[in-house]
Amino acid sequence: MNYAHRLEFGVAVPGDLEDPQAGPALARLAEELGYDLVSVSGAPGHADAWTLLSWIAATTSRIRLVAGGLSLAERDPAMLARAAASLDHLSGGRVELGLAGGDEPDRVAEAIDVVHALWNAGERGLARYDGTFYRLAGARKAAPAHEIPVTVRGSGADLLRVIGAKADGWSGTDGHLAASRIIDDAARAAGRAPREIRRVLEVDDGSTDLLPLIGTHGVGTIVLRTTDREALTRFAREVAPALRAAVDATVPHGSSGLPVRKAAALARRRNGIDYDAVPASLAEVIEPGDLAYYRFRSGYLRGGAPGIVLRAATPAQVADALAFARRHPGLPLSIRSAGHGISGRSTNDGGIVLDVSLLDGIEVVDEAHRRVRIGPGARWMDVAAALAPYGWALSSGDYGGVGVGGLATAGGIGFLGRAHGLTIDHLREVEIVLADGSLARAGDTENPDLFWAVRGAGANFGIVTSFEFEADEVGPVGFAQLISDASDPAGFLERWGRIVESSPRDLTSFLVLGPPRRGQPWVARTLSVVDSAEPETVLARLQPIADIAPLYGQQAQILPYAAVMANASADEHRARGEPISRSGLLDHITPEFAAAAARVLGSGGIFFFEIRSVGGAIADVSPCATAYAHRSANFQVVAMGTDDQVVDALWAQLTPFFDGLYLSFESSLRPGRIADAFPPRTLARLRDLKAKYDPDNVFRDNFNIRPGERTT
Amino acid sequence: MTDYGHELLFGSFVTPTARPPLQAVELAVAAEETGLDLVTFQDHPYQPSFHDTWTLMSFVAARTSRIRISANVLNLPLRRPSVIARAAASLDRLSGGRVELGIGAGGFWDAIEAMGGRRLTPGQSIRALDEAVTIMRELWAADERGGVRVDGEFYQVHGAKRGPAPAHPIGVWIGAYKPRLLRLTGRIGDGWLPSLPYLPDGPASLAEMNKHIDEGAAAAGRKPAAIRRFLNIGGQFGSGAGLLAGPPQQWAEELTDLALNYGTSGFILMTDDPAAMEVFAQEVAPRVRELVAAEREG
Repeated sequence: MNYAHRLEFGVAVPGDLEDPQAGPALARLAEELGYDLVSVSGAPGHADAWTLLSWIAATTSRIRLVAGGLSLAERDPAMLARAAASLDHLSGGRVELGLAGGDEPDRVAEAIDVVHALWNAGERGLARYDGTFYRLAGARKAAPAHEIPVTVRGSGADLLRVIGAKADGWSGTDGHLAASRIIDDAARAAGRAPREIRRVLEVDDGSTDLLPLIGTHGVGTIVLRTTDREALTRFAREVAPALRAAVDATVPHGSSGLPVRKAAALARRRNGIDYDAVPASLAEVIEPGDLAYYRFRSGYLRGGAPGIVLRAATPAQVADALAFARRHPGLPLSIRSAGHGISGRSTNDGGIVLDVSLLDGIEVVDEAHRRVRIGPGARWMDVAAALAPYGWALSSGDYGGVGVGGLATAGGIGFLGRAHGLTIDHLREVEIVLADGSLARAGDTENPDLFWAVRGAGANFGIVTSFEFEADEVGPVGFAQLISDASDPAGFLERWGRIVESSPRDLTSFLVLGPPRRGQPWVARTLSVVDSAEPETVLARLQPIADIAPLYGQQAQILPYAAVMANASADEHRARGEPISRSGLLDHITPEFAAAAARVLGSGGIFFFEIRSVGGAIADVSPCATAYAHRSANFQVVAMGTDDQVVDALWAQLTPFFDGLYLSFESSLRPGRIADAFPPRTLARLRDLKAKYDPDNVFRDNFNIRPGERTT
Repeated sequence: MTDYGHELLFGSFVTPTARPPLQAVELAVAAEETGLDLVTFQDHPYQPSFHDTWTLMSFVAARTSRIRISANVLNLPLRRPSVIARAAASLDRLSGGRVELGIGAGGFWDAIEAMGGRRLTPGQSIRALDEAVTIMRELWAADERGGVRVDGEFYQVHGAKRGPAPAHPIGVWIGAYKPRLLRLTGRIGDGWLPSLPYLPDGPASLAEMNKHIDEGAAAAGRKPAAIRRFLNIGGQFGSGAGLLAGPPQQWAEELTDLALNYGTSGFILMTDDPAAMEVFAQEVAPRVRELVAAEREG
């Protein structure tokens, strides 16, 4: 029997503490020699296996880390699950668990169930388990970094049956052929493929004739129990390569074997996706049955169930992934950087997600001209932190966790907007994968028409893999959060609008106004940034806002811009459902607008209402210079609610005041939104360019502009 | 005036945050680089946004070379004394004698039970801690003859082989607030590890709480100085007038007061801010040492 497993070699590291560093040193040798794994087991009087393994994790970087033969008489599976998940994250996904089977197969079975229950963060809710040996009564889950294999060491038919049904490996010193039969039958009875269970052989040295054990007894991993450095070196340099060559010659699929896909994972594949033809070049491919799926299926505000997530780490991989997507023309294609998309969906149902979060480089390429090259997967708080030592900043938005890719191709209305302009106004050059898979450069002198379109409608034209910006010099800024009484919401809006619009452009202010909870007063929250480190200037800009109405709370500091942007949680996105969001661009907050807004807010159908000041440096740029044409606005208004129809009805009361919208905050799919985002001349030019660069309309997820008929 | 004459220690209490995975490790390294004596981590295994504390401590130990490492404090109800003992001794040997054992009787029983742990009453949890510490010390005494035999109410050990021995006498530092546990701390502990925010009357509570510890010590024939008094503290370096709200110099005076009046000799700053750690280590700590030394000499 042979399971087409990749042939692997490991070293058992003893935990004797006479020379405490001998074990870690042996592990490092094993890593240098190219062994696939080290295995650490406990023994009476020896080091605690988990402690030693954790130490080895910290002092190695690539080798896999197997906790071998952990005894359930001593260790609680719930705590093992926690410890393994932590070490897996700390070590970069290198941990494997080995349990000693002992003489209680049912205990082992329950332990594996408990461990899986606590790792299963993909399934919402708390972990519950009601067994004979173990209980979980609503414990919170923590997934490891990768799918940690659980191997069991031991013998006896009952134990082997448990292994076939539940474990990812069996480890023994002999008897693999006989054991395999029992394991395989039990696997099939449990709906699993026998090859989902790896067969591990522990040998004292390399002298056994290993080839038949590999070829016909199903052994896929060989662990050497010797500390003799010479023997280990000889095995790595001579025996292992010879064995691999022999296996290549005599065993189907050779020493590299075939990847293992669990039956349970295969069952979750979606129709219409050619999973077996995914390009081998991609950094990572995530299917619905994979552990990592729960981390990539949802965006910040949106739930999803994509059929496949393709993670690209280079422009070539982006092109490969795109080619794969193009072979599935009927499926939705979503491009994802950090998953904060509102108009750009970042996810879908049953379709393809092309994730560029690994393209997250931030590199200063020309210090004299403040040029910095940034990947689409970088997050804005990391950009701010990287630029801070140079005394530079790039305005983006208000949340540090947002990715560069979407925002920097749509606009970018941020805390330095009035002082420094939109994010796209600092873009000087891009590298972009186009619909035909080619990698183009676009800037003022190269493909200037494409460069024009990328700045404001980039999602329609390709996947930008590199952004070159010109940063501005920005020192410490004044940052204030004020919570004001807004019992006269219309009055507050009007006064705030007047103050901000007439303020020098070093002030940018955002206002959040929400209907109060029952019994609570109306409050307005303003977040304001003054591009100045002078306390008098900061005070002069903020005081008028503070004076609008009595304050419930205030916090004002002068601090680095990077600190203002360091506001994102590291939590994974677990959103469900769909955001309902509307955007409008407003020239002035007139009394009429303020009154209408207050009425709309008072109705209760809107739970979030934010106005961002624009204008200033944003208005310096000509409406024709980029595809973001609505430069005369002084305010951008966003409303969010939970019901499309209710929100639309309320929003209809405000739309007469708007001239255009900022596409990033508009979730609606009504056809008229395209004309609202792009005035006629801009739209006509965009249609022309769409026909030139994406005639088959591959990029259609975000404010899709249909290709026009080519006029030339 | 209670000054037990202990050498002063300054440490940090770093959140064992699981995301990003290496943040807590980096902060521990920063703590070592800035000259702190000790880095500690709370232990709440039921909290998935935290790392498993023992795993984190082991990883940190391997990435540092001088700083001492402790939990603040270990969650006994979800761990086993024999495993704690073996793990602590192992890590102490691996790290060159840098491990200490902050430990607590447990407190969040709903969460403990949700993970399959045993729910205990406060009284039970104290007796369990007493038994656990006995077992650990027996196991560490590798040179003594015979196996370890403990037939306790909560833990039973049937002739377990002793060892490994730690590299140095590991301090058992107990987190305690109520009289019974404070007395136990005095009876069996090497240190007391409370947090300032949880003292009912702020620093003034220390007098009464020290008394309970001292009584427990006396009842066991031990000197009060056998139990080192730590304190987890939090605050801001600013211009406020309140406790731990002013500039470093003011902090130094306030901590000196605590040291000289209440015998606190280990100050552990609760912070994830490397800049705050640096001010604490490089401005506050030396000044406190100076002031306390001056008072002790004069």
